Amino acid sequence: MPTLTPDIVPGLIATGASARLDEDVAPKFSVGDAVEMKNINPVTHTRLPRYVRGKTGIIERDHGVFAFPDTGAHGQGHKAQHVYSVKFSFQELWGEDHAENMYLYIDMFDDYMRPAP
Amino acid sequence: MPHDHPHPHNKPLSDVELRVKALESILTEKKLIDPDAIDLIVDTYETKIGPRNGARVVAKAWSDPSYKDRLLSDATAAIGELGFSGVQGEDMVVVENTDDVHNIVVCTLCSCYPWPTLGLPPVWYKAAPYRAKVVKDPRGVLEEFGVNLPEETEIRVWDSNAELRYLVLPKRPQGTDGMSEAELAEIVTRDAMIGTDVLAAH
Repeated sequence: MPTLTPDIVPGLIATGASARLDEDVAPKFSVGDAVEMKNINPVTHTRLPRYVRGKTGIIERDHGVFAFPDTGAHGQGHKAQHVYSVKFSFQELWGEDHAENMYLYIDMFDDYMRPAP
Repeated sequence: MPHDHPHPHNKPLSDVELRVKALESILTEKKLIDPDAIDLIVDTYETKIGPRNGARVVAKAWSDPSYKDRLLSDATAAIGELGFSGVQGEDMVVVENTDDVHNIVVCTLCSCYPWPTLGLPPVWYKAAPYRAKVVKDPRGVLEEFGVNLPEETEIRVWDSNAELRYLVLPKRPQGTDGMSEAELAEIVTRDAMIGTDVLAAH
């Protein structure tokens, strides 16, 4: 691995490193679909927080194809897949006594979701 | 040992400080980093890249409707037009506050934050109390920040723990019609671009 030296810092900061992948992967879901987050409990790296596991939301936007951190973090490859903005009502997440006009949006990977029953 | 020189004795280093120093030593010894590179990164985010960048984006969006359209449809490209790009801003989304909708950004899993437009995150943004509470009681968090929104206002909380980074386009305050883009940029606060502040009328 090359040494991180001061001369390459400005270029690194200006360019960054997008996790977006230029791979042709079919989306599993479409905007408007009702989706259920899998109730899984990995002990390894994941971007699926506990508070949405088992909850149902609606696909709001397809962000395109990204590297999957759950495998990438452990040297198991990018496993390219779509990431979507998924909308949940607070009533779904926290209970029916919550206001109707409150929503949580979170970016979820294909592997975290299944079609809502 | 004689010890009569006049300097205040420092407290022992905290666990986090010790861990950071140990990591930096190991990475340096293994020739993975040059410590000067780390100093340059810290200096860049302390003195060159910060929320004034985001404020310029917001002021331009308020002043130029076609720029605002581009910003809301392809934020990464529109922010790039002003020269702001790079680490932790590779894939941006801008969400707009209106009379009916208020947006707030959080990263519940860590501290994801749009560095090119806002710089490094404030301590409270990274702290567990904000991250845990804002997804469950955003109105309570807003009250702690001195913001009270009408019950009719729809609240949207954005948990940015994948690879997208979010910037809130605040509502343009009343009484700013005559202001130039540069003047508008001066009144945009960092917290308004996170969503924990609402800009006061002028």
